[in-house]
Amino acid sequence: MSPETIIFTLNGQPARLEIEPDTPLLWVLRDELAMNGTKFGCGRGLCGACTVHLEGSPIRSCSLPVSAVAGKAVTTIEGLSAAGDHPLQKAWVAENAPQCGYCQSGQIMSAAALLAARPNPTDADINAYMSGNICRCGTYPRIRKAIKRAAAEMAADAVATWEPGQSADAEEVLS
Amino acid sequence: MTMSRRQFIRNASVAGGALTIGFSLSGCSDQQLPKRNAADFQPDSYLRVTPDGEVIAQVFKAEMGQGVLTGILSVLAEELEMDPASLRYEMAPPHPAFADPEMIMQVTGGSNSIRLYYDTLRTVGATTREMLITAAVQQTGTPASELYAEAGRIRSRDGSVDLGFGDLVATANTLAVPENPPLKQAADFKVIGRQNDRLDAQAKVDGTAMFGSDAPVENALVAVVLRCPHAEGSCGGWDAGEAKQLAGVEDIFQIDGGIAVVARNYWRARQAAEAVNTNWQAGAAPLQSSDDIDAAFAAALEGDEYEVVREDGKPPVAAGARTLAVEYNAPFVAHATMEPQTATARPMADGGIEVWVGNQAPDVAQAYAAKGFGVARDRAIIHNTFLGGGFGRRAAADNVYEVAQIVARMQQPVKLVWSREDDMRHDFYRPVMKARLSASLDGNGDVESYTHQIVAPSINQKIMPHFLNAAMPAWVPHGVKSAIGNMQADTDHASVEGVADTSYQFPHFRVQYTNLQTVMPLGFWRSVGHSQNAFVIESFVDEMAHASGRDPVEFRRAHLPEDSRHRTVLDKVAAMANWNQPAPGRYLGVAVHESFYSVVAEVAELSMEGGRPKLEKVYCAIDCGIAVNPDIVKAQMESGIIFGLTAALKGKITVKDGAVEQSNFHDYQMLRMNEIPEIEVAIIDSQAAPTGVGEPGTPPAAPALANALFAATGKRQRDLPLQLA
Repeated sequence: MSPETIIFTLNGQPARLEIEPDTPLLWVLRDELAMNGTKFGCGRGLCGACTVHLEGSPIRSCSLPVSAVAGKAVTTIEGLSAAGDHPLQKAWVAENAPQCGYCQSGQIMSAAALLAARPNPTDADINAYMSGNICRCGTYPRIRKAIKRAAAEMAADAVATWEPGQSADAEEVLS
Repeated sequence: MTMSRRQFIRNASVAGGALTIGFSLSGCSDQQLPKRNAADFQPDSYLRVTPDGEVIAQVFKAEMGQGVLTGILSVLAEELEMDPASLRYEMAPPHPAFADPEMIMQVTGGSNSIRLYYDTLRTVGATTREMLITAAVQQTGTPASELYAEAGRIRSRDGSVDLGFGDLVATANTLAVPENPPLKQAADFKVIGRQNDRLDAQAKVDGTAMFGSDAPVENALVAVVLRCPHAEGSCGGWDAGEAKQLAGVEDIFQIDGGIAVVARNYWRARQAAEAVNTNWQAGAAPLQSSDDIDAAFAAALEGDEYEVVREDGKPPVAAGARTLAVEYNAPFVAHATMEPQTATARPMADGGIEVWVGNQAPDVAQAYAAKGFGVARDRAIIHNTFLGGGFGRRAAADNVYEVAQIVARMQQPVKLVWSREDDMRHDFYRPVMKARLSASLDGNGDVESYTHQIVAPSINQKIMPHFLNAAMPAWVPHGVKSAIGNMQADTDHASVEGVADTSYQFPHFRVQYTNLQTVMPLGFWRSVGHSQNAFVIESFVDEMAHASGRDPVEFRRAHLPEDSRHRTVLDKVAAMANWNQPAPGRYLGVAVHESFYSVVAEVAELSMEGGRPKLEKVYCAIDCGIAVNPDIVKAQMESGIIFGLTAALKGKITVKDGAVEQSNFHDYQMLRMNEIPEIEVAIIDSQAAPTGVGEPGTPPAAPALANALFAATGKRQRDLPLQLA
């Protein structure tokens, strides 16, 4: 397969490269762009270690050809927050969630997608969104707690910054 | 594992290993200290203080999730009177100063890091503190009795002295190292037993933690390796076909152990590898397939080739009121670390090689880097990274041997990446095992006689030659190393640990072991022999309790020493789980097991949903002496329990013609978020010296679950994996 020019947005910055279009996004990130926070676990979308966001939705980058992200926006763990202080990242540290750490980028990216869709997730929501991410160290109980902690912090922040007449989203948080 | 690896080391030390617990400046040249910088104050191998006042600790054990990095920094910080988070750290290189006193090599394993180094690290911290105080006495004339360390400074009680550690480095460097620095009283601890933070957490949530394939090496090519799928098989020929012409492919060539495919990135390398034609041949050795192995093990149980590992008392003259005789089975299981094996390496200008790898035995990695690259060991530099899971798998350095050979040919930087399939099919597996248990109970239901027969292949016989390559001087021929590996197998404690050394007291107690090898490579799998043996002994003790109509907790207590830690953790976990009065519809199973000098009891709690058992909760009590970081101890119990439950419910590697039949997470499954129980952990309050925590949570998980399944269903499951149906 011959290389083609692929242009997409990576963590808010334009990325342009000449690459065989069947190359999975994971290997473009790791081998071509030296974005090493996203990890390789299984190569078949079975473990979630390579989870990134495509237009805000979680995808397994090991199984998505880079041609599929042309013209679109990709967010990796490096782009989740400017200083590694997304509420989920803070909650992960507060709960001592990581052990070996290898799966955690993917876990956090899945959790970020969960909270975007369900700001106040139930245990069933957490199971539904997170059961695609394997953790061999068994950090699941702490991941569950960290997601709830982050959800609570984000809700509190939304309330704290809410003023009457602001967006409908903020009112939803209050209700 | 306990005695096996250690006994090996004691024996191996005769053949040439030196035993040291760190080097100090006295009597040693600067070159002997790891990471020596002449401007720094470095009273010992484990840390140095820079003129800028930074304290830099050497993380001389592999951080694979168990929290040892936090443990090392915490113990040092306690005596230094610092916040552990204010210490800097470096991953230590392989260095004789860091050779494990029990294993000779710089191995991280056996849950022994804090147990073995607690006193050493406190002494190093205290030595540093006292020398900095002495330096302050010399610089200010203030008596030592007026000075104290606080927050990285030496201060006087009247406020007249307030010097940073860095201000004292030059003076401290002129001082003799004191022999017996005073250690803090436990009542004065600010960190040990009190701090719950995990010091590597931030790097592991923002993507910056470096693993073996994340090395900051520019322009690295990526290699994959095709390996013979048949253990002890061979390559009957291969040709690259069109693979060499594919886009991005740099080279395809044979190495010791496989065919290397090197390309511009992983995907091109993997695509090319699939186009290579190979003719792999199974070997001729016996016992290559799961069915044959099972039949041979069954025959061995009947045979007369065995070693009596332990026999106390005499067998009863007549059979007791009740007798039992049953058989248990455990399959091969894989480590399946989240990070498949990886390593990055590059040639150095001076002719040596530099390797980045997360490894539990960096001196083994160094030996293999040197061997693969064809240089002396001191020309191989190992940068140990974080490990994406270890569990025993990363004690081997097969990946380092591969990458070093590939770099030798390419003469440019190479990143080696195993696929998940490579990792699943070329592991060092937990051994398959078959056991026969027989017992005789008296009229009260007390045990008169207990016999535990084990047939299992020796781990040490298989893996020791791999290690000895590193532990022994380079000039010892490989055949000698293999011979020593074979000798070790005769007394392989790993196969009988947790049984031969159990604390249960039975009037007649016999353990016998038959070593029957298969073709499969074997290794240390989190808790090693304890992981299968605890399942067997704790399930069978449960069977004996039920056969005699006695409560499983009471029955265990009755056969354990009166003031034992086993009884303490049993009582604690029984109280936590409301053992005597479980909630309606809940079924409990208990297990207690000592491993790595810690004792853990667990209770599994099940409910029944539509006729199917559902695992609701696991209660756990551990006695590990002083818990340096209580939250990490709890995290390790959670981790060990989930690891044990995953194997208990899903773990089974089968083989055909020496080839593993599983390949990825669809056919070798892991417990996931939606399947795990709630877990509640209690740590027994103790001032005893710290003992293991990385592994001891694992062994009781499988038998606690099996015993709960019996309570819920009335069906005794004696074969792993267990069925939740």
